[in-house]
Amino acid sequence: MIRGESGAFADLYQKYRARLHQYALSLIRSRLEAEDVVHDVFIGLAKQASGGRMPRELSAYLYVSVRNRCVDRMRRKPELPLDDVDLDVIVAPPGDEERIELRRLLNRALLALPAEQAEVVVLRTWHDLEFAAIAGMQRTSVNTALSRYQYGLAKLRKELGVHGR
Amino acid sequence: MDDDRIERLLKGYSLPAVSPDLDQRVLSEGAAILGRARTRAMVEEVGRSLLQGLGFGYLAWAFDLVTTTDADYRVEFI
Repeated sequence: MIRGESGAFADLYQKYRARLHQYALSLIRSRLEAEDVVHDVFIGLAKQASGGRMPRELSAYLYVSVRNRCVDRMRRKPELPLDDVDLDVIVAPPGDEERIELRRLLNRALLALPAEQAEVVVLRTWHDLEFAAIAGMQRTSVNTALSRYQYGLAKLRKELGVHGR
Repeated sequence: MDDDRIERLLKGYSLPAVSPDLDQRVLSEGAAILGRARTRAMVEEVGRSLLQGLGFGYLAWAFDLVTTTDADYRVEFI
């Protein structure tokens, strides 16, 4: 995508947009701000590409760019109480009655997790990132990332258990 | 419910849809940026050919030497 291949840019955008959007949503918990972050990351990539400077590890570059921009925005605004957050980080497949029934509960439980646990659960579950890659993004050890994942899952399991699942 | 079961349950959910407005914004602005870069590259190429034709190819070589940048991978941690 060096020096002006907009078709390749569109392909990259199609490939990563939903994942990066969900990742940004899970971090920043605002639909509008998540969209702004994804927009800024891809426009930054287009500017780099137009100067002939494509990142060597594109996937890592995109994820870290989303994370940095979200962290930067989160520093500048107070965290919303969970009751004021109205967004879906997950969507149930049509016709899947069990998942449709549990969606609201799981969505809320995910948003209620400590941010670093929610991040690992999201990246591991829906983005198939390795724990080493997640640990690199969180600037922590692989063991800590793994523990955060296990604690996160345990809390989700407990939440489902409380509701008789 | 064990870990495997909850992992399978979670994986069955899909990602929320991206708004068409975001698609439009990113694709149109990205195409404009890349389009301008393509035009700039074409103009540079024409200029370079012209210099070659006039026997000043060394000027184009010197210009490339000064302005070319290597592929850059930079991630800034905030």
